[in-house]
Amino acid sequence: MSVPLKLIYNEDPTKNIDCEVRKNIVRPIVTYNNISKSYGDLQVLKNIDLEIAPGEKVALIGPSGSGKTTLARLLMTLEEPTSGTIEVEGEMLWHQRVNDKLIKANEKHLHQVRGNIGMVFQHFNLFPHMTILRNVMEAPRNVLGLSKEEAKERAVKMLEQVGLSSKIDAYPAQLSGGQKQRVAIARALVMRPKVMLFDEPTSALDPELVGEVLEVIKAIASEGEMAMLLITHEMDFAKDVADRILFFDQGRIIEQGPPKKIFNNPESERLQTFLSRFNRH
Amino acid sequence: MWFDILPSFWEGTKITIELTLFSAVIAFFLAFAAGFGRLSKFRAVRLLAATYVEIFRGTSLFVQLFWIYFALPLFGIMLPKMVAGVLALSLNAGAYGSEIVRSTIISVPKGQTEAAIALNMTPWQRTRLVILPQALVMMLPAFGNLIIELLKGTALVSLITLSDLTFVATVLNSSIMRPTEIFSVLLIIYFVISLPFTKGIQWIEHRLSAGRY
Repeated sequence: MSVPLKLIYNEDPTKNIDCEVRKNIVRPIVTYNNISKSYGDLQVLKNIDLEIAPGEKVALIGPSGSGKTTLARLLMTLEEPTSGTIEVEGEMLWHQRVNDKLIKANEKHLHQVRGNIGMVFQHFNLFPHMTILRNVMEAPRNVLGLSKEEAKERAVKMLEQVGLSSKIDAYPAQLSGGQKQRVAIARALVMRPKVMLFDEPTSALDPELVGEVLEVIKAIASEGEMAMLLITHEMDFAKDVADRILFFDQGRIIEQGPPKKIFNNPESERLQTFLSRFNRH
Repeated sequence: MWFDILPSFWEGTKITIELTLFSAVIAFFLAFAAGFGRLSKFRAVRLLAATYVEIFRGTSLFVQLFWIYFALPLFGIMLPKMVAGVLALSLNAGAYGSEIVRSTIISVPKGQTEAAIALNMTPWQRTRLVILPQALVMMLPAFGNLIIELLKGTALVSLITLSDLTFVATVLNSSIMRPTEIFSVLLIIYFVISLPFTKGIQWIEHRLSAGRY
């Protein structure tokens, strides 16, 4: 379904595509409508409009503190937007419509919509008191209501896919950072979300462990069906995996487009400066 | 002499153990109720829990015991000695315990809750599967201390003439006047009673701390 969208980006990378046209091609899986987020006086997101197509891989790049992580956390319902709305498959995430009025969503509503989203965190956040297998099968068992056998089967398959089937009975403390992050990826994937958020998944890793995690993410991305929002400082990785790159600075999307265009012909000065810092290394 | 004394010590020991066990169980429930109460999203619940905790931490167990046993009857509530003793001890320990519960729950890293939310767990599942198992391990040493404190606190009930160990010892001493022997025995008995509690907690702690380094 996402193919037409990708084609359009590739054919005509520089032109902004009219929203109405895009909607006719494919209904976005995620829509941010005029989203702002403030902490006290500090505004971290400023009137963000963003649509993500089903299966689309979007990479978010930009300096630290530019609001990338917040954008993902709003979608995971870890933070509440200050204003604006977010839709997942056309359904409001943070709001409910009651008698034609928008009211704040309750936990039940959040629970219902949130099931479409999964997230991998910078610091893994594995459950330290559970074995690797239990880390991965606990949510399928309790949230999806699968039987113990089904949940275990799914979890084992997932762990095989990230190359950790031999660590099933280990505890997180016994794993390396790269292995922990692969478990975290399996734990999120096993829920079969339609959108996966990766919040700087390799930033907390020793340099020599970054590769194994990126490989796993690339493999998942190549399977295609799942939309991904990747927040990363790994530019080569973003170039490889993403259909579209968003450059964030000071709470705004400054520039966006397919990787080729963003990395080879950056328009804005800020993006040029940002990229030149990476190229020097 | 010992032949006459030991049976009375045994009776007192039973009362002391009973007091400790009953109070510990009730205190445990109170600690969780008040500990969670203080973290509730409802202001009224938080306030209620905080009031209970502050009153019982802010006044002495001795006064609480006397108040329950001697002042409550003025309001028409007459409690048997044992009930008054258990009530005072458990309310007091429960107040301290609730702080243990509250502080360990908030000390579980925020990322744990976030991961549980990302897996779409309900608030109760987050608590039951992710937060509590980790908090419990941290609670245990402090709960161990609390139970020992509770055991030692039971000595105060002798003041409302409940015939626990300490009461038995003082009565015996006033009749045979052998303080060195009697209070040495008393000391040893308290220590021996505390041992299984200490060991028990250590055992549970060991069992629950699987996977930690």
